[in-house]
Amino acid sequence: MNSFANRFSTNTTQLHSPEEDNFSDATWGSQAGFGNIAMGVPTFSIPDVADPTSFLQLHTDDHADPNCRIKIQHGTTTLAFRFQGGVIVAVDSRATAGSYVASGTVKKVIEINPYLLGTMAGGAADCQYWETYLGMHCRLHELRNRERISVSAASKYLSNLVYSYKGMGLSMGTMICGWDKTGPAVFYVDSDGTRLKGDLFSVGSGSTFAYGVLDQGYRWDLTDAEAQELGRRSIYAAGHRDAFSGNSCNLYHVKEDGWHFIGNYDISKLHYDGPGDVPGAPEGGYGYDIRVEGLSSANPPEAAASA
Amino acid sequence: MSSSSIYSPPGFDFSNQLRNNFMLQKGLPLPKATSTGTTIVGCLFKDGIVLGADTRATEGPIVADKNCEKIHYITESIRCCGAGTAADTEFTTALISSNMEMHALQTGRKPRVVTAMTMLKQMLFRYQGQVGAALVLGGVDATGAHLFTIHPHGSTDKLPYVTMGSGSLAAMAVFESGWKPNMEREDALNLVKLAIAAGIFNDLGSGSNIDACIITANNTEMLRNVEMPNVRVQKERDYKFRRGTTAWKKEDVRKLIVEEQTLLIGGDEMDTS
Amino acid sequence: MTQRPQQHSFNPYTENGGTILAIAGADFSVIAGDTRQSEGYSIQTRYAPKVFRLTDKAVLAVNGFAADGNMFVKKVRQRLEWYRHAHSKDMPIRAIARLIQTMLYARRFFPYYVYNILGGIEEDGTGAVYSFDPVGSYEREACRAAGAAQSLMQPFLDNQIYFKNQTPAPGTSFPQHLPLNTVLSLVIDSFTGATERHIEVGDSLEMYVVLARESPSIQALQNIVGIQERTSTADGERIFVIRRDLKKD
Repeated sequence: MNSFANRFSTNTTQLHSPEEDNFSDATWGSQAGFGNIAMGVPTFSIPDVADPTSFLQLHTDDHADPNCRIKIQHGTTTLAFRFQGGVIVAVDSRATAGSYVASGTVKKVIEINPYLLGTMAGGAADCQYWETYLGMHCRLHELRNRERISVSAASKYLSNLVYSYKGMGLSMGTMICGWDKTGPAVFYVDSDGTRLKGDLFSVGSGSTFAYGVLDQGYRWDLTDAEAQELGRRSIYAAGHRDAFSGNSCNLYHVKEDGWHFIGNYDISKLHYDGPGDVPGAPEGGYGYDIRVEGLSSANPPEAAASA
Repeated sequence: MSSSSIYSPPGFDFSNQLRNNFMLQKGLPLPKATSTGTTIVGCLFKDGIVLGADTRATEGPIVADKNCEKIHYITESIRCCGAGTAADTEFTTALISSNMEMHALQTGRKPRVVTAMTMLKQMLFRYQGQVGAALVLGGVDATGAHLFTIHPHGSTDKLPYVTMGSGSLAAMAVFESGWKPNMEREDALNLVKLAIAAGIFNDLGSGSNIDACIITANNTEMLRNVEMPNVRVQKERDYKFRRGTTAWKKEDVRKLIVEEQTLLIGGDEMDTS
Repeated sequence: MTQRPQQHSFNPYTENGGTILAIAGADFSVIAGDTRQSEGYSIQTRYAPKVFRLTDKAVLAVNGFAADGNMFVKKVRQRLEWYRHAHSKDMPIRAIARLIQTMLYARRFFPYYVYNILGGIEEDGTGAVYSFDPVGSYEREACRAAGAAQSLMQPFLDNQIYFKNQTPAPGTSFPQHLPLNTVLSLVIDSFTGATERHIEVGDSLEMYVVLARESPSIQALQNIVGIQERTSTADGERIFVIRRDLKKD
């Protein structure tokens, strides 16, 4: 709390104890309400052991040890793609800790600012914290340069940031999506330090299922309604087949004037009844038992059933 | 590893052991056995033995049975409290009970407590602690009243008052402060109740009710749920669901009564003349 | 080359059992926890509060490793006091939620082994519940159970509060928010149920009720025996504590 205290003290003697540094820069924007942004890279308390990384792994890696005490939430399907009308961002809403569904209402799209969205896969806290932090620096960029940050620059900022923590145990796979001077843009950034520019990405345990639907239906000249339907349908497919994804689908559309929240769709409702009265959606549910009704032996026609 | 067959010898079947160890190494844990993380006790008094047990059975931190029986029958005047793996205590005592009955028929005498104790310890030692039974064995025979503890590896103790299970320390604290030689029947029963209650309230592995068993030379009295200090409280709300609460995908009503019609083929009636 | 001594494994964590729960209503919030603290099969104490009043409109429940939990609450309260001195007002609950995130995340590489649930009243007068994971990811919800018996309680609450797996009678719909007396009954039943089937839950139940300014829900608290008021200022949100006995075995 030195900076806070010094601002109000008359003598300028520098007190310094390690305890007081605990929260100094790490907790930006929270010094008794006196935000101290832009004080450099945050610092974190590290356990005083020979190998802090393996210490963290010992207590948090539930894949290696299902009985570890601190369970960090995992498991996801997220996707984003660029097309003629902007960027579609669609995600599921399930958080799992081992085999337990910890939450079915997670917001996996992080609204960085009105023009930038980030998605969340991997450690929930890592994504939430660093993308909020990114939002702050995007605002500082605006104030310094009198123009919005490009999606490319924002994603590189995040990429460089997580790269500086490489090997420490951060876990995030995110897509930074937005609209800048160059038009719609999507960048994939992960905690290994990878940063990729592309038209179409899907991240998470259910990504293979989402890609299956996405690759089949993707075209550059999709209409807005078709594109939204494709995003919704892809997340449904992942929610249906991947045990670690599901509950509901959150759909966003980034246009020239910033992002728009399209809707939240219950995945089992999509299966049985479909998304309801939305543009681009077919009538009825996405599940194929509606399409095979009266045609397959498992679902025989009325007459055959009674015979 | 030999495979199991219908001609396999009697006893435990180890044919899945290799596979299970392999799965354990791959990170797939074995299913949890129900354990009676328990308080069981026994004490000597003037005319015989009092045995006691709580009634909680657990699976890890979950209560599997709120009112199970942990005092097992060996013979009319020998009983055995079991702690540890529920299935092991159940089957070990049942097996020894059968063998004791056979022994009684063979010899034509009432069997002794030491006999049961020896059979139990020899069986548990043979399985090197793999049969997870921790027992308190007590009874009265021609040579008097006897009380033993038998540990899973086969070691035994003969003592005037004993406790076992996860609540053994709490229960022993009560015995150490309250037990006296040549107690009256009521005093001994009360002490056992107090010892089990100490386990029920201070040990998370023990809970619910108190069972006791008083064995004297010519009578055995099984006191199931002598004390019930943890009765279920009334719930605040009523959780009845409206008919039609559960959604269904299709409805199919079938008539289960088969209607039968007999049609007589004309001109072939039985000749009854 | 000389090798320095290696520590094989450093384990500063333990699990102290117990369960916490919070439910948000339209203009109130209920935050509850049992008071048993245990380690392994032993009870360390039958009365160790897990629910703490932060301000007149915010209550924090902590569960997991008790030492970390108590220290964390202490540090949150310190930060809130600094805020009060700087701004002459209480920090709003959504700001407390963000504060808790940054405080938890500051220990990303040496986490507090604590599951937090924050309950209270939002600036717009609505009931709020925020739940956190140990490293600071958080979400606003209507109800949340955490701790030893969360997997016993949460499905029950999903069914009774969100009406999951229930179809309404034809021509009707389920209510968006439940009244305070119903919520209190559900909380009590959740805990008596968990006490019966989970060995680490029991002894007694402590429920904090936070009411919005001039909330009509005060009616529901009129006839509750042993209710205590914990409000510090006359005009504003009000806080009450209700205690109930749970089974002690």
